[in-house]
Amino acid sequence: MNYIVPVLLIVVLVYGLIKKVNVYDSFVLGAKQSFNLSLSIFPYLAATFIMVNALRASGLDKYVTSFLSPPFSLLGVPSEVVELMLLRPFSGSGSLAILTDVYKQYGVDSYISRCASCIYGSSETVFYVASVYFAGTKVKHTGAAIPIALFCNLLGSVAACLLCRIM
Amino acid sequence: MNIVWTVITIAAFVALTIINPQSVLTVCLDSSSQALKTALELTAIYCIWLGVFKIAEECRLVEKLSKLLKPVNKWLYGNISEVAAGYVSLNLASNLLGVGNAATPSAISAIGEVEHDEKLSRFGVMLFVVNATSVQLLPTTVIGLRASLGSANPSDIILPNLLATIITSVVGVALVFVAYGRCRKKHIVVKEFN
Repeated sequence: MNYIVPVLLIVVLVYGLIKKVNVYDSFVLGAKQSFNLSLSIFPYLAATFIMVNALRASGLDKYVTSFLSPPFSLLGVPSEVVELMLLRPFSGSGSLAILTDVYKQYGVDSYISRCASCIYGSSETVFYVASVYFAGTKVKHTGAAIPIALFCNLLGSVAACLLCRIM
Repeated sequence: MNIVWTVITIAAFVALTIINPQSVLTVCLDSSSQALKTALELTAIYCIWLGVFKIAEECRLVEKLSKLLKPVNKWLYGNISEVAAGYVSLNLASNLLGVGNAATPSAISAIGEVEHDEKLSRFGVMLFVVNATSVQLLPTTVIGLRASLGSANPSDIILPNLLATIITSVVGVALVFVAYGRCRKKHIVVKEFN
């Protein structure tokens, strides 16, 4: 698996050379776009981070978590990982910090930590991805995109907890 | 996102003000500088992938890839332009190879190519769901973190994680089909309404 990216890069460069493409110029031309892209993403990132960090600093997320733990435990999700599930759709770095906390608190090889690992791995930062994807466009109404993705996050997390129990 | 963001942020600000009024601005500033750092890191990542994609495009590798993935693309996204097909092919390939960082710029390019209205079309919804539920062969971040904290077997979560992501991908794509129908049907419906 470690070879995928380097081999991919070499193949593209060598193929470009064979096809007599001006590899250097093409690379620079493509790379030029990266600044505009992240410039349009930045305000959305800032807004998301402010929300997530304020939520964590105020301790409100812990409060909501304790509220939501009972229904989740009915689905087989341990209450210790509910906070991770709630913040995962908003922030990758925030949920990674929670994942690290879970590892340290419950031991990295415990059932709870394995659940948390799979929840982190199988769900996506839905709101973050949405703001990044649609930052440069006119799109305001995203239809069923976010509800479907959030439902899949939930489903993936519940499935992950079940699978960790039997594997 | 508008309502979600506003409600949560107001609630968190009010709670923070009660606990410690000075921390509100500190949290905001910390967050925006964190966003700036992330944006710079993303610039670095996108710079590499967009550069490499451009080379692949110029030497017609992207064209070959989209020919290869045409049946899948047609099934998922319906009839799309050649340029958009190139982007979604790169996106799908990046996701399958587990190079999430390369999937994002190609998805953004595809959306910029196809979506021109305020309302997201079936194409955008499908692309979003495919990316938000993508199958993960190797959760490198999690494995790395577990290894660094002294796990006895850091990679023993690969299988349950893979199965969980397969479930989310299948259900996610199926739900888009349920909500938006198959591509051809949708065109007929639109015509009938007109």
